[in-house]
Amino acid sequence: MPKNPIPLFLLVLLFILPFVYLPLLSLADGWTFPAVWPEQLTLKHWQSAQHLYGSLLYGFMLSMAVSLTATALGFWVSRSIAQHRHKERLLRLAYFPYAFSPVVYAFCLQYFFYKTGLVGTFMGVWLAQLFITFPFCVLVLTPWWTSRVFDMENLSFTLGASAAQAWRRVLWPMARPVLLLSWFQAFLISWFEYGLTSVLGLGRVPTLSIRVFQYIGEANPYVAAVGACLLLFPPLLFLWLNKQSVFRVDTV
Amino acid sequence: MGMVFFQVASLAAGYGSEKVLQDVSFTLAKGNTLAILGRSGCGKTTLLKTLAGLHPATAGAVYLNSENITAWKPRQRGILYLYQEALLFPHLNVFDNVAFGLRLRNTDALHVGAQTNALLEKLELSALSNKMPDQLSGGQKQRVAFGRALNVQPPLLLLDEPFGSLDVETRANMQLFYKNLARQQQMSSILVTHDLKEAVLLGDQYGYMENGQLTLFPDLNAFMADARTGMAHEMAFWQTMQQQADTQHAQSD
Repeated sequence: MPKNPIPLFLLVLLFILPFVYLPLLSLADGWTFPAVWPEQLTLKHWQSAQHLYGSLLYGFMLSMAVSLTATALGFWVSRSIAQHRHKERLLRLAYFPYAFSPVVYAFCLQYFFYKTGLVGTFMGVWLAQLFITFPFCVLVLTPWWTSRVFDMENLSFTLGASAAQAWRRVLWPMARPVLLLSWFQAFLISWFEYGLTSVLGLGRVPTLSIRVFQYIGEANPYVAAVGACLLLFPPLLFLWLNKQSVFRVDTV
Repeated sequence: MGMVFFQVASLAAGYGSEKVLQDVSFTLAKGNTLAILGRSGCGKTTLLKTLAGLHPATAGAVYLNSENITAWKPRQRGILYLYQEALLFPHLNVFDNVAFGLRLRNTDALHVGAQTNALLEKLELSALSNKMPDQLSGGQKQRVAFGRALNVQPPLLLLDEPFGSLDVETRANMQLFYKNLARQQQMSSILVTHDLKEAVLLGDQYGYMENGQLTLFPDLNAFMADARTGMAHEMAFWQTMQQQADTQHAQSD
């Protein structure tokens, strides 16, 4: 126990507060300053937010598609980069998308997306989000490809493995923790992404983040709180499901 | 010398414009170990990787049982390469590591179990069967790596300083372990090392590698007589030490 537990208590409180405040706000009715407690608690905001459930599903599918594609592509490309003689230069290129803010990046891409008819479509936003999640996955996965990993792959070949068997029985199981980490991070980037989705989706790609910002803009804090609660749901669910594997990454 | 079953003819290999192996030729009799001594960077590892099919040859040919296997992929050759590190698969326990090669061949599960358990017993690894690699000592890991290799009964083992990462005592134990195993199993192998004692102890045939070129010796005496191996220097050192000890002993009397 620390000598002065108050700073630690405040830190824990700061972390827990959104998880208490948001559900409470989503259940509140007539909660105005300076009242410290809502006038009454109600489920009506949850019941009236049917379109948010649609956005939850839509956004979930989009983020799953983005994160799975980015991780799969990242795993494949990071292998080639790790073996390349200009590995460091190529990795520096992967930082390029992060030199801009997502909104500026979206405006740079907008012309090409208009020309190709991708603006305002699921495919368009999927592709746009890949521009930021794919380099991220490359940056996370490239350090995993050490000479030891390549030696193990070669060893499996001499033991009789085909290329497919080496992937399935050696590389894939060994990389599982780092792949899960990469996928989960890519999912989070996509799930909370607003700038690119807003500019290139033109409001026709109704992810949950877009909806929440809409409600905040409309000064409807109760439904926005419902959306924010839903927004927290998938990451918390995945964290719970993958806790073992995600926390095992440091042993790789 | 027994029947020649492995032959290398004028083999060359390199990385880009850099020539690492030049005109390497030798033969290996079945059941023999060719010990190749050489300093770091002389091309020993490249030679083994080229023989295993993990690195392309730029010239020459490799024959196994009189068949030209130069263009064959590693899995077709069946020549097993053992690294300095045990390189056990970290997601598999001892049993699954040793059974790995058999399972790749879609061998019947009962047969895999019986053969692997028998081998584990022979290698005194049965008690460790369910342990994960990170629960094993360096010597145990190397024994498991040997078990994994022997379980697929490869025609030839390539040993790339396989005991180099072990401490002195474990290394000596493993050298004896390998020597006995090689005799029992009639294993054919090529061992590269920079450890003179290891080469003498484990080899049946001897070679010295320098700048990508291999010199072969007809017998141990010729190997010992070559100044590059350092054997003469080593023996002179110990003889001097012995003489000094004898002199000191005589003076104290």
